[in-house]
Amino acid sequence: MSKKESIHIEPLARVEGHGGIKVDIKGGKVTDVKVDILEGPRLFETFVIGKTPEEDLSLVPRICAICNLSHKFASLRALEKCLGVNIPEVTQEYRHLMHHGEMIESHSLHVFFLALPDFFGYDNAVAMAAEHGEVVKKALQLKKFGNKVMRTMGGRMVHGENPILGGFGRLPSRETLLELKAEAEELLPFAMQTIDILAGLDIPDHMERETQFLCMKPPHDGYDYYGDIILTSDGKEHSVEDYKKVIVERVVGHSFAKRSTYLGKPFTVGAIARVLLLGKRFKGKAAEAYKKLVNPRWYKNPLYNNFAQAIEMVFSLEGIIETVDKILQMETPAIAKPTRQSGSGTGGVEAPRGTLIHHYEIKDGKTAAADYITPTAMFLDDVEAFIWKSGETLLQRRQTENLELQFEIIARSYDPCISCSAHLVTVNYLDSED
Amino acid sequence: MAKVKDTPVQKPRIGVYGFTGCAGDQLILIHTEDEILNLFAAADIRSFVMASSNPPEGDLDVAFVEGSISTEEEREHIQEIRKRAKILVAIGNCAVSGGPQAMFANDGSFAKRLRDVYGEVKFITDPIEAAPIDAHVTVDYYLPGCPIDSQQAFALISRLLHGADPEPSLHPVCHECKLHENRCLLLDKKLCFGPLTKGGCGSACPNHGLPCVGCWGPQADGNFRQHFELLQSFGLSKEEVFRRIKNYGGHKILEFIKDI
Repeated sequence: MSKKESIHIEPLARVEGHGGIKVDIKGGKVTDVKVDILEGPRLFETFVIGKTPEEDLSLVPRICAICNLSHKFASLRALEKCLGVNIPEVTQEYRHLMHHGEMIESHSLHVFFLALPDFFGYDNAVAMAAEHGEVVKKALQLKKFGNKVMRTMGGRMVHGENPILGGFGRLPSRETLLELKAEAEELLPFAMQTIDILAGLDIPDHMERETQFLCMKPPHDGYDYYGDIILTSDGKEHSVEDYKKVIVERVVGHSFAKRSTYLGKPFTVGAIARVLLLGKRFKGKAAEAYKKLVNPRWYKNPLYNNFAQAIEMVFSLEGIIETVDKILQMETPAIAKPTRQSGSGTGGVEAPRGTLIHHYEIKDGKTAAADYITPTAMFLDDVEAFIWKSGETLLQRRQTENLELQFEIIARSYDPCISCSAHLVTVNYLDSED
Repeated sequence: MAKVKDTPVQKPRIGVYGFTGCAGDQLILIHTEDEILNLFAAADIRSFVMASSNPPEGDLDVAFVEGSISTEEEREHIQEIRKRAKILVAIGNCAVSGGPQAMFANDGSFAKRLRDVYGEVKFITDPIEAAPIDAHVTVDYYLPGCPIDSQQAFALISRLLHGADPEPSLHPVCHECKLHENRCLLLDKKLCFGPLTKGGCGSACPNHGLPCVGCWGPQADGNFRQHFELLQSFGLSKEEVFRRIKNYGGHKILEFIKDI
């Protein structure tokens, strides 16, 4: 019988983008792993040159529809540094509200519709609905709620122009805010029920290996999704302005997404990195969820990223309730204006799938240079390393049936955002004759 | 009267494909939960990369295509889809005009910009300058938007499913803005592309007091010359106005501004 030599999964299923995985196996050993990004180049960094900040802010959400508000937020943080825009605290709170909405939308889509079918052994969420109808129904409600918050703050669900330099075009009414708070309160028990569902799952261990973690450190002692300091799992802290010294990018021929390392090695970003680095700061129900779910295997196993996303859904629902309460106590903000026309600045935020960095140099009101590093461009090396380890372990254990599904589940756990999702999987077994 | 034969009606076979873009147009379809269930009931979804697994590829009645064509591999793939599809619909601004990545269309800077971002690298598939779908194959219908609007999308889809010709939407953004009773931003001398831009977004930006950036692409009967003169009377340079309208106009805007 001929031996399986190369496994090729393309397009990769249930991820947001057009990509594929190639694994080469020779003599029962993994000899190469490549996650290909087949999406064409878009060159965003070149087409904001010569543009005004308002044009930049309109264009950059188009990098990715799913994280469109995180891109807007990162850009706003960078551009406001460049131009000396000092936003009032209440504007920051409205931005938190918008960011919580995006986390809930993206995480619920990923946890319930992309990942949970894997854990329960279904092809997709619709097939899962027959036995877990109530969960799927509630999950849809949670996703819709995330969308509603995004639409309220963004101006429309995708690529809304409402968040602008120094503030928002239009702010939601008091009634709308109270409605969002009430809905968050109503959904919180389901988010906690999700924690219990996950707590009962067995997670495979064949890919387990040590890695590094990275996220933005909030400028206060709570948990959050933004900051000016890059925190790494070796205990070091780095100014976001030095991001290029920390996150070292390179270009590879099999991907239009760039690759990154920290200290020459792959690293993990995203919910699991945030929960492991900042999770002790959780309060309320999120702290309960953290205690229930986090264990030492999280440090070695990317599949727990889905668990971390579930904890963050609890955190963000509580975050919406708390933020609405804060906003209702505060004055309506004026739009903060630039105090200069030139400068440089770096904005760091946590997008749903990880750290997102926007850097700008502005000269006389126009963009002179721009640099964006997306989460997927940071963690692809890590995905390859975990798949490699998984292949080695499974071959050693002689569990060679349906290897491609195991590799896909690993890639999927990161929620890679390649922009344009592929639910279909074609597998090519290239058999060797010798 | 002839007896009507009792033959089962074959559901139209549909494929949804994504090329280079942000995936926002497919996402709009996914995020319309009620309609999408009806769509799945009314059509035989052969391939919908974001929503269903293991599709049997093959002949299609309608192919919906999102994104610009930006690599050799994508060019070959769109030609292959065209051969299989009776009707091909370009959905979203990237598919219709090339999208933001086509804002420098035909200015000769692509090779340099590619080098600026990636350096000298040989990729697994050769990158090509972003172009709309109709630069490579015949397109039967266009659904503009960045992203598309779900109401327009489902109006077009349901007409196609019932064998009717979708009617083009002839209203500019201004029309929708008036229906919302917004104060005209042009009265405040703000740079707004509402009069020149296809409607369909429900005047999303002016509803928030913000100018239309033109993301639905050019409205064919817009008075471009007159509007550009108006904007210049606000103190905006021709260069600035052209630069901004190219952000979302891609290849399609070029014919409207070539003589201005």
